[in-house]
Amino acid sequence: MATNDLVLENVTKRFGGLTAVDRLDMEVCQGQIYGLIGPNGAGKTTVFNCITGIHPCEEGRILWKGDDITELAPYRIAAKGIVRTFQTIRLFPQMSVAENIMSGRHVKSSQGWWHGIMHTPKSRRDERKNWLKVEEQLEFFQLHEFTVQPVQSLPYGLQRRVEIARAMAAEPSLLILDEPAAGLNDKETMALLELVFRIREMGVTILLIEHDMDLVMQLTEKLTVINFGKKIAEGTPAQIQQNKDVIEAYLGSDDDD
Amino acid sequence: MKHSDYYGYALFFLALVLLPSFLDSRWQAVATTFIIFTIVALSQDVVLGKSGMFNMGQALFFGLGAYTSAICNTKFGMPLLATVPLAIIIPALFGIILAGPIIHLRGDYLLVVTIGFNIVFVQALQNNLLGLTGGPNGIFGIDVLQIPGVDSASQSAVYYICLAALVMVLIVLKNLEKSKAGRALTYFREDPLAAESIGINTRVYKIFAFAFGAGIAGLAGTLYANQYSAVSPEAFDFVQSVLFFSIVIVGGSSVPGIVLGVFVMFVLPEIFRDFATWRYFIFGFAMIFTMILRPCGIWPATYGKVPAYILKGKQHGNK
Amino acid sequence: MDIFFQQLVNGLTIGAMFALIALGYTMVYGVMKLINFAHGDMVAGSAFVGLTIYTHVMGEAASLPAVIAIFLLTAAVVAFFGILLERAAYRPLRSAPRLSAVVSALGASLIIQNGIMLVWGPQMRIFPELIPQLSWEFGGVIVSLIQFLIMGLSLLLMVALYLFIEKTRMGAAIRAASIDQDAARLMGINVDRIIAVIFIIGASLGAVGGLFIGLYYRGITFNMGWQYGLYAFVAAIMGGIGNIPGAMLGGILLGLFNAFIAGYVSSTWADAFTFILLIVILIVRPTGILGERVAEKV
Repeated sequence: MATNDLVLENVTKRFGGLTAVDRLDMEVCQGQIYGLIGPNGAGKTTVFNCITGIHPCEEGRILWKGDDITELAPYRIAAKGIVRTFQTIRLFPQMSVAENIMSGRHVKSSQGWWHGIMHTPKSRRDERKNWLKVEEQLEFFQLHEFTVQPVQSLPYGLQRRVEIARAMAAEPSLLILDEPAAGLNDKETMALLELVFRIREMGVTILLIEHDMDLVMQLTEKLTVINFGKKIAEGTPAQIQQNKDVIEAYLGSDDDD
Repeated sequence: MKHSDYYGYALFFLALVLLPSFLDSRWQAVATTFIIFTIVALSQDVVLGKSGMFNMGQALFFGLGAYTSAICNTKFGMPLLATVPLAIIIPALFGIILAGPIIHLRGDYLLVVTIGFNIVFVQALQNNLLGLTGGPNGIFGIDVLQIPGVDSASQSAVYYICLAALVMVLIVLKNLEKSKAGRALTYFREDPLAAESIGINTRVYKIFAFAFGAGIAGLAGTLYANQYSAVSPEAFDFVQSVLFFSIVIVGGSSVPGIVLGVFVMFVLPEIFRDFATWRYFIFGFAMIFTMILRPCGIWPATYGKVPAYILKGKQHGNK
Repeated sequence: MDIFFQQLVNGLTIGAMFALIALGYTMVYGVMKLINFAHGDMVAGSAFVGLTIYTHVMGEAASLPAVIAIFLLTAAVVAFFGILLERAAYRPLRSAPRLSAVVSALGASLIIQNGIMLVWGPQMRIFPELIPQLSWEFGGVIVSLIQFLIMGLSLLLMVALYLFIEKTRMGAAIRAASIDQDAARLMGINVDRIIAVIFIIGASLGAVGGLFIGLYYRGITFNMGWQYGLYAFVAAIMGGIGNIPGAMLGGILLGLFNAFIAGYVSSTWADAFTFILLIVILIVRPTGILGERVAEKV
C-alpha cells in the first residue's frame, strides 16, 4: 500500500511493571481527522510517543505507507513525513518565532554539514528558499507581527500556534497533535478548529488527542477510545457518544464541556 | 547583521589592526596571545555556548593542534605553514572519535569524561608517547611560520598572522550561524527532544559540533606553536580547559562576551602583574558574582536574527 | 604475590581516603544536583588547618587526646566553612541554570585554593608526625600504624554514615530530598536544614580525609585539592553520583585500581589509566556502578 495510512498492530508498551499501552490496533486513513481519546492517564500520549519513536514499543508493529517504522528514531520518523506537537508545548524558548518555524525546515533543507563551514551558491539558495517557506507559515498562521519575538514571551495560545506552524513547515503527510486545545479559551478553540480544517484541506492527515469533547465531536471523523492502555471502543463520534463502555469510563472525570 | 553590529565589528577590527603600532614587543606578544586564546574560546563556545554540551577538555584539541605542528615541523621537517591543514584535521578527527562513544552522556558525566580525556592527553604527552612528544619539557625549536614574500619573523608580523586567522574564524562562525547545521546546534541545545522530533539527528550534529570546535582549537594550536616556538604539556592541561570553559559562561555566548572574557582572564593579569598572587583569588569572587547577577553571562547571545527580506516592515520586533 | 598484597593494602588505604572525600561530593550532588568543585579544596584546606591547630593551639602535642582534639577541631572549622560556602556561593543560585552553579563552584574553588596559598604560602609544608611511624610485617607485606588507622577509622565512619542514612529520620529525609527536592519540601521536610546537614557531614568527612592525606603523604601543597578532589569525584561518579554506598564502593575500587597500576604498570600512567577506566565504565554503564536510571516523562 502506498497510500498515506498509519497502521498500529498489536502495539504494547510497558514501563517496568506497568502496561501503558496494551495490544492496541488502530488505523488512520489518508485524509482523515482521527481522534484518540480516553480518560487521563489512559496512555494516549504514550501511544504517540511509540509512533514518533520516543519510546519504542515492546511488541507490535507500526506501519506507515506500508513501511515498518516501529524501530525508527524520532528524527527519521519526521523525515518520513510524520510530525507532532507536544502536550506541554516544546518550543525553543529563547529563539524567535521565525527561528522556531525554521527548525521545521531542517528535514527539507538540502544543505550538508560542510555548508556550516563555507557556503556555496546552492546552499545560499537553499537558505533563501527555506526562509521564504517560513514566511509562508508566518502568513498562514497570522504570526507575522511576532516574527522576531522570543517565543517564551508570547501568550500560551500564540505559542500553540507557533508549535503547529513549526510542524507544518516540515510539510508533513501526517500531523500528530497532542491536546492542541489545552489551555485555550473558547475563541481560540474555534480558531483552532478552523485551522485544523484548513490544514486537512491541504492534504494533510491529522491524528489528535483531545479532552475537549465539543471540539472532538465537531472535528474528528473517527475515534479510538482507550482506557488503561486498552482500546475500549472505536467508531464515528456519533457512535462513540452512545457507547456504554465509553460513558462508564468517563464517569466521574472532570471532562465535561 | 544590524547596523550597530557592523559598526561594532568595524571599530573592533580597526583597534586590533592599529594596536601593534602603539605597543612594544612585550605587549605585542601579550596581544598576540590574546588573539590566540580568543580563537580557542570561540571554539569552546561552539561546543558549550551554541550546542550546550558541558565540555571541559577543549585544551586537549588546542594542544593536539600545537603538538601536531610542533612534531611535523621539528621531527619531519615540514614548514609550519604546511602543518596548518593537519593541525585542523587531526584534532577534528579526534573530536569525532572521542565524542562518538560519550556524546549521549548526561551533562555532568560528560563534563567529567572530557576532563578525563584532557588528563589522559596531558599524561600521554608527559610520558613521551611514541617517542614523539618530548616528555615533560615538551618540544623546542619550532620554526617560525614563513609566508612567501613577507617578513614573518617579527613579533608584529606574527600578530598580524594571528589576526588574519581570527578574521577567518569569525567568518566561518558566521557561516555556521546562517546554516542548517549551525541552527541545528542551537535547537538541540534548547530542547533535545523537540529537536529530534522535528527531524534533527542530534547525535550526528553533536559530534559535528565537537569536531568543528576541535578543528578551530587546533588552528589556534599552530598559532601558539608559532608564537612561542615551543610547546609543553602544562600549557594544555585541564586547568586551561577550566579557564576556557569559564570564559564562555562568564563572558557570555557572544563574540563581545568572549573577547571580554579572554581579556579579563588573560590580559588583565599581565597589566596587573603586581597583583599576581591575588589574581585568581579575585577572579573566584568575580566568577561567583557574575553568576549571581548575570547567569547568562556578561554579554549573552541574542536571537531573532532573521533575514531582512522576510521582515517586510510589518512586525513589532522585540529587542 | 607480595606485590599483590602490598598493593592491596596500599590500595585499601588510598581507597578509604578517596571514599571519605567522595562522600562529600555525592551527598551534595544527590540533593542539590550540583558538583561542589570546591570540596577538594576544602579537603586540602583541612590539612593546613590541622597543621595550624597542632602548631598554635595544641602546642605541638602529639598525645592521643591531642590528636583526637585536632581531628575534632579541624572537622568543626571545615564544617563551618562548608556552611559558609553553601550560603555564599550556592544558595543564591538555587533556581539558576545548572551551568551557573558549576561556574560558581569553580569560582569558590579558586577562592579557597588561593586563600590557602595566601595564608600558608605557595611552598609545600610538612604535616606533623601525629601518629608514630610504627609498622608491622605480615608475610612480606608491610602495614603501618597510619594505614591501620586510616582504614579502621574510615570503615567506622562509613558504617556510621550508612546507618545514619538508612536508619534515622534525618537520613530518610536526606534520601527523600535526593530523589525529589520539591516533593520533599511539600512533605514538610526542611530542605534548607537538610542541605546544611549534608554540608556539615560532607565537609567533616572530607576534613578527616584531608588530615589522613597529611598523615600519609606528609607533604601538603595549596593546590593538591584539585588532584585528590578529582580522583574522589571520579570515584563518586563511578559508584553512581548521588549514591552513598556507591561513593564508598567507588572510592575503594579507585584506590585499589590506582595502587595496582602503580605497582604493576607504572606510576606515571596512573592518572591516565584511572580516567580510561572511568570512561569505559560510563560508556558501558552510563549511570555508574550502583547508579539508577531515571525516566523522564514526556
